Amino acid sequence: MGLSRREFIKRTAALTAASYVGMNLPFSNEESAHAADADTWHKGTCRLCGSGCRLELGVKNGKAVALRGIPESRTNKGYLCMKGMLFYKLMGDNHPERLKKPLYRAKKDQPFKEISWDEALDIAAKEFAKAVKKYGNDSVAYYGSGQALTEETYIFQKVMRGGLQTNNVEGNPRLCMASAVGGYITSFGADEPIGSYTNFERASCFFIIGSNTAEAHPVLFRRIMRRKLDNKDTVKVINADPRVSPTSRIADLHLQFEPGTDLALLNAMAYVILEERLYDEDFITNYAVFRMGKEKKQVDFNQYKAFVKDYSPEKVAKICGGNITPEKIKKAARWFAKSEGTMSIWTMGINQRKRGVWANNLIHNLHILTGQLCKPGADSFSLTGQPNACGGVREGGGLCHILPAHRLVKKDKLRHEVEKLWGIPEGRIPPKPGYHTVAMFEAVNQGKIKAIWINCTSPAQSLPNCDKYRKGMKREDVFMVVTDIFPTKTTELANLILPTAFIFEKTGVYGCTERRSQLTVKAVDAPGEAKPEVWIVREWALRLAKELNDPVIKKCVEPFLGKEPDYALPKAIWDEYTQKLTKGRDNDLRGATYEVLEQLPDGVQWPAPTKEWALKGGTDIKFVRGLDPLADKHAKNDLPYQFYGPAHPDKKLWIWLRPQKGPEEMPDSEYPFYLSTGRIIDHWHTSSMTGRIVELMRANPYAYVEINPKDAEKLGIKPGDMVEVVSRRGRNVLPAKVYVGPCEGMVFVYWHDQDEERMINRVTKDAFDPGSKEPEFKICACRIKKVSGPKPLKPFLVQMKA
Amino acid sequence: MPIGGFVINVDPKRVEESVESLKGFNGVEIHGTDAKGNIVAVLESSTSEEMDEMVKAIMKIETVYSVGLTYFNAEDEVEKQKAQ
Repeated sequence: MGLSRREFIKRTAALTAASYVGMNLPFSNEESAHAADADTWHKGTCRLCGSGCRLELGVKNGKAVALRGIPESRTNKGYLCMKGMLFYKLMGDNHPERLKKPLYRAKKDQPFKEISWDEALDIAAKEFAKAVKKYGNDSVAYYGSGQALTEETYIFQKVMRGGLQTNNVEGNPRLCMASAVGGYITSFGADEPIGSYTNFERASCFFIIGSNTAEAHPVLFRRIMRRKLDNKDTVKVINADPRVSPTSRIADLHLQFEPGTDLALLNAMAYVILEERLYDEDFITNYAVFRMGKEKKQVDFNQYKAFVKDYSPEKVAKICGGNITPEKIKKAARWFAKSEGTMSIWTMGINQRKRGVWANNLIHNLHILTGQLCKPGADSFSLTGQPNACGGVREGGGLCHILPAHRLVKKDKLRHEVEKLWGIPEGRIPPKPGYHTVAMFEAVNQGKIKAIWINCTSPAQSLPNCDKYRKGMKREDVFMVVTDIFPTKTTELANLILPTAFIFEKTGVYGCTERRSQLTVKAVDAPGEAKPEVWIVREWALRLAKELNDPVIKKCVEPFLGKEPDYALPKAIWDEYTQKLTKGRDNDLRGATYEVLEQLPDGVQWPAPTKEWALKGGTDIKFVRGLDPLADKHAKNDLPYQFYGPAHPDKKLWIWLRPQKGPEEMPDSEYPFYLSTGRIIDHWHTSSMTGRIVELMRANPYAYVEINPKDAEKLGIKPGDMVEVVSRRGRNVLPAKVYVGPCEGMVFVYWHDQDEERMINRVTKDAFDPGSKEPEFKICACRIKKVSGPKPLKPFLVQMKA
Repeated sequence: MPIGGFVINVDPKRVEESVESLKGFNGVEIHGTDAKGNIVAVLESSTSEEMDEMVKAIMKIETVYSVGLTYFNAEDEVEKQKAQ
């Protein structure tokens, strides 16, 4: 049979797609004489959001040439999005702009020079040691990423805390999900969602608030959409957002409220639930208490009821503005409370708020009141933006106040436990938490931090009010190391740039939104001299030990000496972290060894204390006896649910009395518009990766400012006109997109663009939540003005001038 | 010349209409449909960029809810890049 190679691949494509939906095609490829479409296939995780989509990378002649989903994977059921389809273009030698050599300059106004790894590691060690000797341990800092592998975050923080004796260990998840962490801990007593993606196929009501799931998590959105389409009349979708987005397309009810009125809206839904007796009295009696204020004072149901009295739908509809009516609030509350299983979903619209923790609490309140937790389809589920913000940073000890496995720095017992497990002297880890993100870069501004290591993230672009913090990063007396795969706005300010390996060029684990850890084993070589971070940290630590004449620093990496960096080294780090540090903790991962992870199409959800449990995939729903091994272990009574979370001594869920609170900065006569920011489907974060995929960059070469048609008309702005967006902090000039997206009085700008004129974090505000310390990216005040008609624009990305 | 295997989700009541719209594209082969609104399609284009544009255009069709990629092969494009 004369089947061409092309025809063969097309058949493979058709057969793969058909197998996903159980469709039989009238042909097969079994008898084909063609060589397979790839030499080898390698399981791994997509790098470009927090969903944790599993795929196989096809490698031919040592190069990444093909991708296919893994249909058995419980995260994505095999489906991928366009970003996922194209990210192989960044691997190995596939991309000419990858960083391939260590680059150095003593002064930041000098050009970079290529140097050897030996020289680079010596310089990094000498500079950090110099700062420690002269200015003390807290004059050095590590700023990491929800995109680093768990092994990387773990070893970095171990060397910083145990070796350099500072808790100045932070990471960009502070900017995106710290409020979700605060919400879970204060409401449920334990971080991270109770349930799983499996609830997408079991929920009867979706309450999506502050999330453009369709663009930010397209593969998960596909599951929600499938659930809705297959059950059009019985499944309800509520979308609450100041902006109409592609997510609203499947909504039965769209609640468009004015920015910053979300807390009132959520309290009004609670009002309806109480008023119409839609709450679950047994659930509340068995599992919940009511609390208020900083001192967490316990109050009773009647006091809560009296508090909520202030949020009648009639009153709140007026506060919320937009399209909100009392009837819409009532309808949303009824659907939420009465459905067989309600799943709330949110991301940055809720977290990036001055009162982000409170907003999280108020969503959890609705679930606790109505008993919409722990049963099939019922969950209060925060979606993560980065592939390893949960696994690496939240669980691995990547924030200034937490040690690995959800241990608080300030608790002596937990700190000493970690010191003992690491075999280092008691008292080695300082008792005081380090700087949170905004404070860390404020300390850089003030010259208190003299040496900082920034790994796999670009704060020069991603911090709010970034000009203010770039000033500090530019200081000649602040030594800056940046590890990354491409040049960024942050490498522009570095002294030392170290090229690193990308996903599939190294081995390690990502832990996605649903508590699931998934392994990616190296499949292709990194380009040039790029190295895995775990090797870089180990070698740096050995030099630091010499420079500071401190054997304890060496002790921190001793278990990892002599291991080859592509597999044995990350495996040894993972083993230490899971077998020693997670033992007996709520994220017990002892069963999730590399050996187990390699056997599974996807990965393991903690708690997974044994291999047997891990091989089944781990724990689908936490806190349920019979489903969660720790719920049985910690059971205090005969009730089916056991909320054993470490943060609530009473082992109860806490319903919080949280009042409406607006944003830090409200529009006024001088700055009359709300400014909000977010993503577009093609680009991810600072576009250092997606911007380098020609297809994605051409589709969306620059950021726009979205303006409601009514506002555009008033201001004489037409599509494509150049519009100035000015706040008290900075100014951008961007082309206008006139669009019924944002509500009247609000503009919306994509935040990925690296061009100085279109980099919106020069305009946003760095106010932050006093609880979670997460900045309020989502709301500030601005004014807008047409400056010219349409102008030809060029896409821009930082290039390396060596 | 990249090749992609896709499951396109459309309004289950408007499958035929969706198939007609898809047939209007060069490089789209329809391999089957079902009552749930799943359409199995193979897309072929001269560059990945063109593939990306095709997917975007398909997503704009009113009856289409999502375009799910299941398989992607760009072996000759990678080879070409290597040769350059």
